[in-house]
Amino acid sequence: MNTSTEDLAEFRAEVRRWCREHVPADWRRAQTVAGDAEFVAFQQAWFQELRTGGYAVPHWPAEWGGGMPAAQQVVLYQELAAHDAPRLVLGFVSIHHAASTLLAAGTDEQRARHLPAILDGEIWVQGFSEPEAGSDLAGLRTTARREGDGFVVDGQKLWASGAAHADWCLLLARTDPAAPKRRGISYFLMDMRSPGLDVRPVRNAAGESHFCEIFLNGVVIPAENLVGPVNQGWQVAQATLSAERGMTMLELAERLGNAGFRWLVEACRGPAPGGGRLVDDPRVQDRLAELETEIAGLRALCLGLVERHEAGTAGPADASVVKLYYSELLQRTMDFAVEVAGLPAHTELRKPASSGWESGAWVLDFIGSWEWTIPGGTSEIQRTIIGERGLGLPREPVVPA
Amino acid sequence: MSAGPGTAGAAGASTPQDVDDLRELHRELRDVARDMLRKTAGRTGDDEAPVPVDWSLLAGSGWLGLEVPEELDGAGATFAEVAVVLHEIGRAAASSGYLGSAVLGVGALRLLEPGAGRDELLAAVAAGEQRLAVALPAGDDVTIPFHVRPATPGDAPGAGGGARVDGTAGFVLDAAEADQLLLVALDPTGVPVVVRVRPDDPGVTVTGQPVVDETRSLGAVTVDGAVVDAGSVWQFGTDPQESVRRLLDRAALAVACDCLGLAEAMLEATVDYAGTRRQFGRPIGSFQAVKHACADMFVRISVGRELLAAGVAAVASDDPQAGVAVSRAKSYVCVAAVDVAGRAMQLHGGIGYTWEGGVHVYLKRALLGRALFGAPAAHRARLAARFAEPADDPLTE
Ligand SMILES: Cc1cc2nc3c(=O)[nH]c(=O)nc-3n(C[C@H](O)[C@H](O)[C@H](O)COP(=O)(O)OP(=O)(O)OC[C@H]3O[C@@H](n4cnc5c(N)ncnc54)[C@H](O)[C@@H]3O)c2cc1C
Repeated sequence: MNTSTEDLAEFRAEVRRWCREHVPADWRRAQTVAGDAEFVAFQQAWFQELRTGGYAVPHWPAEWGGGMPAAQQVVLYQELAAHDAPRLVLGFVSIHHAASTLLAAGTDEQRARHLPAILDGEIWVQGFSEPEAGSDLAGLRTTARREGDGFVVDGQKLWASGAAHADWCLLLARTDPAAPKRRGISYFLMDMRSPGLDVRPVRNAAGESHFCEIFLNGVVIPAENLVGPVNQGWQVAQATLSAERGMTMLELAERLGNAGFRWLVEACRGPAPGGGRLVDDPRVQDRLAELETEIAGLRALCLGLVERHEAGTAGPADASVVKLYYSELLQRTMDFAVEVAGLPAHTELRKPASSGWESGAWVLDFIGSWEWTIPGGTSEIQRTIIGERGLGLPREPVVPA
Repeated sequence: MSAGPGTAGAAGASTPQDVDDLRELHRELRDVARDMLRKTAGRTGDDEAPVPVDWSLLAGSGWLGLEVPEELDGAGATFAEVAVVLHEIGRAAASSGYLGSAVLGVGALRLLEPGAGRDELLAAVAAGEQRLAVALPAGDDVTIPFHVRPATPGDAPGAGGGARVDGTAGFVLDAAEADQLLLVALDPTGVPVVVRVRPDDPGVTVTGQPVVDETRSLGAVTVDGAVVDAGSVWQFGTDPQESVRRLLDRAALAVACDCLGLAEAMLEATVDYAGTRRQFGRPIGSFQAVKHACADMFVRISVGRELLAAGVAAVASDDPQAGVAVSRAKSYVCVAAVDVAGRAMQLHGGIGYTWEGGVHVYLKRALLGRALFGAPAAHRARLAARFAEPADDPLTE
């Protein structure tokens, strides 16, 4: 593993060179007015660009095209952020959740079929939540009935981010309605072109339509698309959820530090209302220093998690600590940005697609920060996990699983 | 201003009976306003943008002239009654030109020396015949944005005796819908005055400034060498600097009233939702994390309500020290409103993040309210300035 200081410096220089040559000029402006088709095309092209550079899936195992040491990944994400490279938004679930599920619990055939396809641009969506099953995910009601050598699925999924563009879906469905909630769920890979499937976009608080309802009406899934044993889907899902809660954060933390926070400081170097610069105001200085410190803590936390994860020593609530801290720190940082940016910030009516959670359209960025405190286990649920699984406190009196 | 006979202005409420009457009057006003806004606010048009409350309804309600003296066909009431309406408009997150005309417009006109032109305009505003917007500093920078000087023949043919105005102001509330604009300007000796122009006067440009909060209408007013007759340049009745400060205080407090109303609406919606939404076989409100968050929202609102009441009483009674109460109310309530609306979004889960769910409307409005007429930090700085020196203004009262 090449992680000595000199090697890292060399790697950084290489990434910098690559970024200067490959990050598309002026993509922000184009992506701010981009329609859906342009967004998808841009994301696909950028993914292939990164792939050619060897930077698309650094966190995957070497045999599938990854194998980059964590310390190098940090450098990579730092440089991508510092060069304001577009983010992989469309392929986020594909390269993280789908991949980690397949790697942890998929069959050799499933991996061989999908991991290379993901590298070629196959898009995935996560179909877990339902109208009545959000925080209480195990209460899901969508059913999968065994029929011949397949399963027939009926029900409804909600909040499936990016479903409108997805080729495949990570699906949880109930296969044993009689079993206790967590022991009757199975995990499937569902082809989004299957008959009986209806996807309807839901408009979000920012006015965009990323998340969708998925109606499932007698959708047939071949048995070979089952992941793990029947009725063991809950256990498999934990792998996916932990990816969402932890591993994805490395990149996001570096974004926050190297793009979001830098722009915030830049914005504060601008003129203050009534004269001077914002950054000369001791109150602004104090808040910036506080946020910088917190972000430094977050970045170290993320790296530590990745390293412990690789070493197999991660604690049961470590991922929750990172997810909770990131999402609430993002929210606090954006809140402060809205406040210091004053009235002009309110006239930014669109944020560029393909950008990070902090795009500089601060008001929309702040609203968007709830996309981190609500999904993937809300902040309230994360605190319960940290208390119970992390600290061993007695369990909340919820209905037994 | 005189609160006419039969009306109970806050300033005039001195006996216990007066106070009771006033409470009753406010309760009635609140109920009527809430009922009307429930029926009319919150509609959206084909473009999904909020449709403003029908102006004729506002005119018919009598709210536009609450602070207009009775002899000019107003209600002769005070800012205390206006605050009740503002609070309800906030609760409904209603789109309306009320602030521009009835709060800032009337407020500015009442600070001027009485005169025929001013009185005529006050009466027209009370009747809903003329809509106003006041171009004053809207952010943290309180520099007066316009300048006026005697016009010369070079400014416009036949301009002799008139005045020439220049300047620009951003984020002027309800500017795009206004029939007349009141510009806060400095005369050549540096004394603040008010200049009345019309949006279609030569040299006057009003450009809509769309903001993330779609319930508010803001505009940039640019005046480039507009020439007005001398009768359109109005002097403040008392200390002009002080008058401008009072106008700014009124604007800040008006926004705080709106923010308290919207925070209350968010708490109620969240408590309702937490009582009905079930997860893990129980209402989510039974989980301490949810319950305690609601309790915190309630505490914030309770404190905010008291600070706001103090500000409203001070402004309604023309208290010379009103600025302190106003800055406390504006800074506390507007921060609390953002936090409460944000919590509401969180506690509604996925529904809270949808467009349909509507929480975002309140959060965006709260964010804009926090920035308008002085960010919390600016108001706190104003309060803190008193700490440095021993002053006549006691820190405790
Ligand atoms: C932007 C966005 C994108 C999403 N993307 C996806 C996706 O791609 N795929 C997918 O499957 N899902 C997705 N989701 C769904 C997301 O995971 C759920 O919204 C989330 O789990 C919360 O569930 P809920 O919305 O039903 O809220 P609820 O579970 O009803 O929660 C409402 C409130 O109650 C609180 N609460 C509930 N139970 C407890 C408890 N026991 N203790 C304390 N507090 C509690 C919650 O914290 C929350 O504040 C997305 C959601 C959003 C907002």
